[in-house]
Amino acid sequence: MTRPAELTTFLDMDAVTVAIALAGLVLAATLLGVLHRVSQGRARTVAGSPVVRLDGVVLGDRATLLQFSSEVCTPCRATARVLDDLAARVEAVAHVELDVARRPELASRFHVLQTPTTLILDADGAVRSRMGGAVRRDVVLAELERVLAA
Amino acid sequence: MTTDSPAPATGIDPRGPRFGAGVTAVLLLVVIGLGLVGGTPATLLDRVGQPAFLLLAALTLVFAWGAFAGIRRHPYGVLFRVVVRPRLAPPSELEDPAPPTFAQGVGFVVALAGVVLHLLGVPFGLVGAAAAAFVAAFLNAVFAYCLGCQIYLVLARVGLVGKRGAAAA
Repeated sequence: MTRPAELTTFLDMDAVTVAIALAGLVLAATLLGVLHRVSQGRARTVAGSPVVRLDGVVLGDRATLLQFSSEVCTPCRATARVLDDLAARVEAVAHVELDVARRPELASRFHVLQTPTTLILDADGAVRSRMGGAVRRDVVLAELERVLAA
Repeated sequence: MTTDSPAPATGIDPRGPRFGAGVTAVLLLVVIGLGLVGGTPATLLDRVGQPAFLLLAALTLVFAWGAFAGIRRHPYGVLFRVVVRPRLAPPSELEDPAPPTFAQGVGFVVALAGVVLHLLGVPFGLVGAAAAAFVAAFLNAVFAYCLGCQIYLVLARVGLVGKRGAAAA
């Protein structure tokens, strides 16, 4: 294959340009990492969600912590531990963990873009809060109390 | 890339894969630097002989090793166990090897794409693929970013993985 001479020349960069390009790449990746870390576990209030009925899923009497997980996801395990513990301590609250590989239709229905994703459903089964990524215990508890108080 | 076994009773030290991702990120940065300097020569023979190409081809094989032999047998994992871990405190908790093994599979596919594109003479094919793999490896090493958390979900939603049973987990 032949290509125009100017293109080949353009690709042969000098050392300074290469160093700047590499530094730019590292900087961009760092910014991406910081943004990702900040977004993890943030709670978003959901209003006006229709009541959801999930076959094969038993909801809690007052609220349900619905967690979407996958088997190749490390933070899913830590999130499951936090939610399990909260469900055990707070009366009539259930923790339900779904594997997205087994229930992809539910992942699509709830627009799950990452695992873990945690939804808080109220007593009627309506989605009231949504958290993407590894959860923080204090954030989940605050959201849960808000949903239970409503 | 997927394992059918449930989470094993004995896990791995989570710092092992992150150490490996750090080594991978540095080597990929070298690939990108060499690739930018070397460019995309017109003849196939010149392209194959380039240091950037040879290093990325070697990294592709290492990714394949990690993905298909499992993260426990990964060469960087062995290096971590023999050289680094004896100098560290014991891990606070062990981790399932499935997520880092999956990440190695994704790395393999991306690196292989770079190798193929470079063989075809596509400008920036090698550098682009190496840059994508670098970002993932860097985020994993520095921020404990979990590649499987996003990509696996996309594969599950389009039906490429999973759906082994209708029961809820």
